[in-house]
Amino acid sequence: MDEYALGVLTNVGLFSFLALSAYLLLVAGEMSFGQQAFFGVGAYAAGIGTAMWGWPLPVAALAAMALGAAAAWLVGLPTLRLRGLYFAMATLAAAEMFRILFELFHYQRTIDGELVGPDGTQGFRGIRWVLERGIEQETFLAAVWALVLLVLGAFALVERTRLGATLRMVGEDPELAAVLGVNVARVKLGVAAAAGALAALGGALYAHHNTYVEPRNFDIMLGVHSLAYALIGGLGTALGPLLGVALDIGLLESTRVFQGYRMIVFGGLVALLLIVRPRGLLDELTVNRVAAALRRRRTA
Amino acid sequence: MLVDLLQNTLDGLMLGSAYALLALGFTLIFGVLRRANLAYGPAIMLGAYAATWVHLQFHPGVLVLAAVTIAGATLAGAYVERLCFAPHGRRGAGDAGAIASMVGSFALWMQLEEAATLWLPKHLYGFPPLYDGPPLGLGPLTLRVEYLAMLVCATLVCFGLHRLLNRTRFGLAVRAVVDQADAARLAGINVPRVFMLVFALASALGGLAGYLIVAAHEQVTPMLGMWSTLKGMIAMMLGGLGSLPGAVVGGLALGLIESHSQWLFGPQYRDLIAFLILFALLAVRPSGLWAMLRRSPAPAP
Amino acid sequence: MLRTLLAAALAALAAPALGQRLAADVDCKPTKHDLVYDCRIALTEAASRKPVAGADVSVGADMPSMPMAHNVRPVKAKPAKEPGLYTARLELEMYGEWALKLNVRSPVRDVIVKKIDFRERP
Repeated sequence: MDEYALGVLTNVGLFSFLALSAYLLLVAGEMSFGQQAFFGVGAYAAGIGTAMWGWPLPVAALAAMALGAAAAWLVGLPTLRLRGLYFAMATLAAAEMFRILFELFHYQRTIDGELVGPDGTQGFRGIRWVLERGIEQETFLAAVWALVLLVLGAFALVERTRLGATLRMVGEDPELAAVLGVNVARVKLGVAAAAGALAALGGALYAHHNTYVEPRNFDIMLGVHSLAYALIGGLGTALGPLLGVALDIGLLESTRVFQGYRMIVFGGLVALLLIVRPRGLLDELTVNRVAAALRRRRTA
Repeated sequence: MLVDLLQNTLDGLMLGSAYALLALGFTLIFGVLRRANLAYGPAIMLGAYAATWVHLQFHPGVLVLAAVTIAGATLAGAYVERLCFAPHGRRGAGDAGAIASMVGSFALWMQLEEAATLWLPKHLYGFPPLYDGPPLGLGPLTLRVEYLAMLVCATLVCFGLHRLLNRTRFGLAVRAVVDQADAARLAGINVPRVFMLVFALASALGGLAGYLIVAAHEQVTPMLGMWSTLKGMIAMMLGGLGSLPGAVVGGLALGLIESHSQWLFGPQYRDLIAFLILFALLAVRPSGLWAMLRRSPAPAP
Repeated sequence: MLRTLLAAALAALAAPALGQRLAADVDCKPTKHDLVYDCRIALTEAASRKPVAGADVSVGADMPSMPMAHNVRPVKAKPAKEPGLYTARLELEMYGEWALKLNVRSPVRDVIVKKIDFRERP
């Protein structure tokens, strides 16, 4: 496969973790401008794990997910009472704090005669675990998408269970949920932690795909974009955020036609799209209609 | 030591008046339409870029450049309003409309930023200062004329808005809409028109802020868009969402926090401390500094 | 598909194969077109500093902010006269700091990242 196409497809997969992370919080009723912080935590944690402590990538990725969940929990706890723009700004502030902390973080070791490790604003280079094992780009792409599909499967499963209904209820009407006996605080914290772990997994993979990360990678633009992709793709199904990512990074980015005008086209299209579809492309209404139609056909 | 403290406080207030001007525009939109406009900064940037282009072609005077910036920002703001806020209808149509407007404004943010950088692609453009002379001296303290102008403008704007909202028919209509949009509509007020005018006013204020800021920095960069939105939003939240006096208080507070933090700990810690204070404030007293100052009980956000 | 996944899993758990490290020096000069640069790349072995000839190198670029957005289509670097020297023409989307990614597929698999600040002509 052409190297450029490989790169684009891998990026779509990696970004999907971040968009799905934002989506999960949106379903539970919270708008976060800060998921990029956990993407960054995952990237740095996994990078340190493999490049500096000699762990295999799967172990480092799991550790990264745990750290991402913990960080998200730490941010979620003081912000439990906040909603809407208040919550969004709080997550933005938290994410920027994380990013600045990455700028101040220096931790280096000499390995094989070379200095390896995060070096503040200079970033973290030499995350070469994937290269050193001779893993091909195609293989890595397959692994990333296998994980994305796994996550999508998990989402689909949860949607059908009581947990899924509870999550959506907390998102739509937390007062009602509380009256019905749901521990809203615990649900929100759980969702925050899960979303943090998800973003961290994406970050871990991103670090190993790129071999180099720096604090600027995890700035506000990344966070606002991933939130936007989830909202544009639609909150009816986990495929929504993927659609949002694929449309921007996949379709528009890679077509030569829009070179240099990508954002003008994308921005205009999205604004127009939202007029006819304010809840995104694959919103709850559309998903329900499609599901009903499929059910009718099955019983016909 | 004391001189440093005073100078930093003075610098902070000056810087803060820029933030206050930015926050006033942002707050007008949020206070009246109950929606966040993420394309606020980029609209200002487009105005500033228009003025830069005019400067590069014609080298006109200060007043022309200010007028171009304000006009540019207002036009860009009108474009955003028509495309993202007007179609999503009535305020109070629930979260869906607000979120759709916000995502739409994000989309136009990207669009306006790219349009600006395509128009003037350089990383940095020089911009003529407001006043081509030495800074004023107040004893051992120095005061730059541009920043003094910002403080004066912020004060004037504040008073002007107060008069507009409390002494004119338009202001009455705005207050009616803020209170109860549906009742206002029933009383015969053209609510969409009120929204449009408020939006234009807010964009014009943003343009004024933008002009003063780029004249004070004597440069224009592509970062102006996001920077303006971010500072405006932070100042607004610090002061108290949707409150005009809060916007000024928040802006000044942000300026003071940044100025003192930078002096005490250096530029990297400056932003860290500002965000930390914002986060802590939101966690504990989301209603903002203005409400705290007036000793209101903390309402539910 | 399953076989590649299995191979990847086994490779992941197997003993590490020491990748030969490469080093690169990149020098990009502006051309008469705005935002188009001619880059010369000197590829050497990191340890011995010997030039690496006949390599399959492609050059891509990314902006640190919004890392997957301002993607520049990777171009294959052409070998220049001296061994170990390659040239590539880059077309960027805007001025600023870019992270150039040198993707080497042969003779050794390696990725080298170089940060370069592309400023406009004064």
